[in-house]
Parts: sequence; structure tokens; C-alpha cells
Amino acid sequence: MPDAFYIYCIGERDALAPLVDEKQAEAIEPQTELELIASDELAAVASVVPLSDYGEEAFAARLVDATWVAARAMRHEKVLEHFAERANIVPLRFGAIYLKRAGVTRMLSEKSESLRALLHRLRDKEEWGVNIFCDRAKLVEMIAMLSPALREMSARAGASSAGQAYLLRKKIEGMRADEARAQIRRVVAEIESRLSEASDGAVRLRLRQAETAEHQDLAAKLAFLIERSRFTEFRAAAEELAASHARSGFRLELTGAWPPYNFVEDSEQKI
Amino acid sequence: MTDEEFTEFEQSDLSLLETLDHVLNRGLVIAGEITISVADVDLIFIGLNVMLTSVETAREVLRERNKAVTSDE
Repeated sequence: MPDAFYIYCIGERDALAPLVDEKQAEAIEPQTELELIASDELAAVASVVPLSDYGEEAFAARLVDATWVAARAMRHEKVLEHFAERANIVPLRFGAIYLKRAGVTRMLSEKSESLRALLHRLRDKEEWGVNIFCDRAKLVEMIAMLSPALREMSARAGASSAGQAYLLRKKIEGMRADEARAQIRRVVAEIESRLSEASDGAVRLRLRQAETAEHQDLAAKLAFLIERSRFTEFRAAAEELAASHARSGFRLELTGAWPPYNFVEDSEQKI
Repeated sequence: MTDEEFTEFEQSDLSLLETLDHVLNRGLVIAGEITISVADVDLIFIGLNVMLTSVETAREVLRERNKAVTSDE
């Protein structure tokens, strides 16, 4: 069966060529090597993949096999990390496959302008993820303690007849839950805005259902584009936010550095 | 996953999941094809749903494996 071309990332030909020649990074399939497919000054890092696995129907079937995907997704990431650490690249996610070499060069030349703009925008930058968790029980407790209205209602409930007290407590519970949700929104917005100032771009990622079922305290996932030289500033801002919201049950998790996967897409100009 | 393939990533499942999350598409677009798709007839498109399903099953596999490891101890 013939082969297809799997694409990892795009960059400037002159910067990528020596890195591909070094042969330090492993291709997604064993016994194949990374190569460069160039068009003018731009080039894509690619490797040959068998159509028996990566052809349209075969690939769809393979994607159902999580173990097959996981192994290859990790190899894809390793290739990208290798290049991202050494050159400016536009990272592609797992699974961009061209049937012909000419398809890659045509894409490079047709998208040349937007690719150059992206390379310029991503220059010397990395992506960092910020996951925000909130211990709701702790937050509710804090809210109950700080809100004068809720404190007053609790006091009234304590001094009321059993029936009245029951109704008041129900009301208090509802108010606490509402206030907790509003507070989570406020804190996430504050973290997003503060960290946006310390970075060069921000994206709020959509939470998947399975993710929130697994981590019930996961409140938001954010991604930031950060110039390497600004990372210390960003990290300090994140640590300060984490410290200031820890008492009300919030926890921040910083992940990275990632190739800027979440900053190559925009609705106007898809590559 | 075969044992051989597992040895490739001797790292925590958490970071493996986080990596899959980044490398595979999270579905930033509401519908349609995966966003990295270059509009080109030669390109093989990956349906977004297929990709998301793939991430979920990967999570399942890792969770099951985690349980097995924990009960072994």
C-alpha cells in the first residue's frame, strides 16, 4: 500500500533544515525518518506514514483504538517539543495527513501569508496551561462566614420554631449555592484578566463533560501564550493569585511549557 | 496499549492525560472538522467527534490501568 505524509509543524526552512539533518527526533512511525517539505522560505516537518493505517477510512478506525492513538500522540508531542525548543514553529495537532507531497507544498504556498504572520506572532513564545480548581465546600463555608445577610439569617433560623427554621435553612442553602457559583465566576474572571496582562494571549478552553465528572472541583481551564522572557513575571502573578484565593478553596495548576497549540487557530484565518 | 508502547512514556498518567489534551483537539470549534485541517483536497480530515471519543477512551484505559496498579499494591 502506498504512503502518505504526516505533518508535525511548519516553520522557516533555513531554521528547520539543520534540525531535521541532526536526526535527533523520532518520527511517529518506527523505521521512518523526519524530512522537510519546503516551499520557498517555509517548510513543514513531515514523515511518511502507511495509508494502511493513515488512509481516510483506516485512520478513522484506528482512532477508536485509544492505545494506538495515545502512543502516537505522545510521539507527535515529542517531535514538536524538540523543534519548538530550537526554532520558531507553528505547531499542528495530531493527525494532519497529506496524500501527496505536492499537497503540502501547495498548502505552504497558498497559506504563506497567514503562516508567516503566525510565525511572527508565536516567535519566542510558549503556551502555558492554568487549570483552576475550587473546593466548593470550603468556598461555601467561607461565604457563609463573610456574608452579613447569611449570618443574620442563620441567627434567625436558630431562634425560630422548627418549621420556620427549616424554611430559612433551605433558603440559606440556596443563597449559598448561588453565591458560590457567582464567586467562582468572579475569581476565574479575575485570574483570567490578571494573567492576560502578564501574557501575550489568552484562551478559555471548553471543559469536556467527562473532565468535569472526573474532577468535580475543576472550575476552568485557561491557556496563555507567553514570551519566554516574561515567564517569571507570569509565574509570579499566578503564584500571587493562588495564594490570595487559597483560603476560599481555590487551587491553581500550571502546566507547560507546551508548543502553542491553542494559538494557531482563529476563526478568521484557519490554517 | 501494548507493554512495549507503554514503556515509551514513563511518566505519570496525569501528565500523559494533560499531553493528550493538548495534542489531540479539544474541540474549540463547535462542529465540523478538526481545526488544524488545512483546506485542501489532499488532506485527510479527522472528524472532531472521532477525536474527542478517542481522548475519552484513552482516559478510560488509563483510569482502569490506574485501578489495577493500585489494587496490586
